[in-house]
Amino acid sequence: MSDFSIPRSQSTPAIQGNWSEGVLSMQGDSYPENSYELFHQVFEWVERFLQDAGRPLTLELHLLYLNTSSIKAMMDIFDLLEAAHHAGQPVAVNWHYDKRNERVADLAEEFKEDCTFPFAIVGF
Amino acid sequence: MTRDQRDLDELVKRLLADPANSDHPMHYALSQLWLAHRELLNRIERITHVSDAYQSIAREREMSLAERFDKQLRQLEKVARISDRYQQMMRELNIALEEASTHDVLTALANRRLLMERLKAETERAGRLQHDFCVAMVDIDHFKQVNDQHGHDTGDRVLIEIARVMQAEVREYDLCGRWGGEEFLILLPELDLASAQVVVERVRLGIRNLAIRQGTEALTITVSAGLAAHLPGESYSDTINRADAALLRAKQHGRDCLVLAS
Repeated sequence: MSDFSIPRSQSTPAIQGNWSEGVLSMQGDSYPENSYELFHQVFEWVERFLQDAGRPLTLELHLLYLNTSSIKAMMDIFDLLEAAHHAGQPVAVNWHYDKRNERVADLAEEFKEDCTFPFAIVGF
Repeated sequence: MTRDQRDLDELVKRLLADPANSDHPMHYALSQLWLAHRELLNRIERITHVSDAYQSIAREREMSLAERFDKQLRQLEKVARISDRYQQMMRELNIALEEASTHDVLTALANRRLLMERLKAETERAGRLQHDFCVAMVDIDHFKQVNDQHGHDTGDRVLIEIARVMQAEVREYDLCGRWGGEEFLILLPELDLASAQVVVERVRLGIRNLAIRQGTEALTITVSAGLAAHLPGESYSDTINRADAALLRAKQHGRDCLVLAS
């Protein structure tokens, strides 16, 4: 179907959706003024992928700072993955963090708490 | 249905069915009344049924709303919790950044930026309130030789040890900082030249008494210092320049001593 790519800005992360490989990646900080505008296209892409692609989906996240509405958006995306997982679709999240800042790993743990699909927190 | 009602129903049915009554003038009226009565009963039953159905739908909806509300509430609590932790993380990073931007990485003393900030503030305060302050420039003697003979690791250790002694020997409200390389600056608020001299001498002797272990030997380090009192109307860079000139004279006088600026 379609790939998409949003370049990094000062307040938003770089985001890439690779349809053929089934990978959604994000890198950077996220504190946009309008989180809905940014994340609804991500949300829609994930939703469409889960509906149409019939392939496993993996999220590769290199996120550092998230503002409150970005946290909510990420939880909504994880809810989508959780529902897909319950329907038997293979989904996974790899949350990468810099080992010099362990607090990011703790925060990833908070997100992981309610997820039953494979959710790895990977230090580099 | 109560017993009296059942009995009445039976009685009416019997009366209507009895052929003996069929010509009675009230027979028609009773039969019509009986039909109307039955219809009314049916209608009440239907209304009750529909009403019950509505009630159960409303109840189901209320329960699913309550469920959704609970879910949203749990999500909100989680978002708030994570958000608080992100903010805490940013706060800590800010503090670390502030510390890093105002302090010397090696010695943890104030860096040149913080020294200049405080010098500026102290100069303004002195102008406003006619308070004294003094500035001392302290330079390690023959530091290049320490580096050359014992290596830079030892040189770094000397800087760290000297910083520790300086910090220990000054008063609580004096500010010690690394001005650059092996040169340190001490800002001494609320002191005239004579009193400041006592503090800086204490620092100088403290450093000289320091024995820095290097293998089997102990290094003795001395410093030269120049001390200047801030003059009314003078900029802080002028005060520093006079302290620097005094330091130069201390070096020329054979080092390991303190010279007061004129």
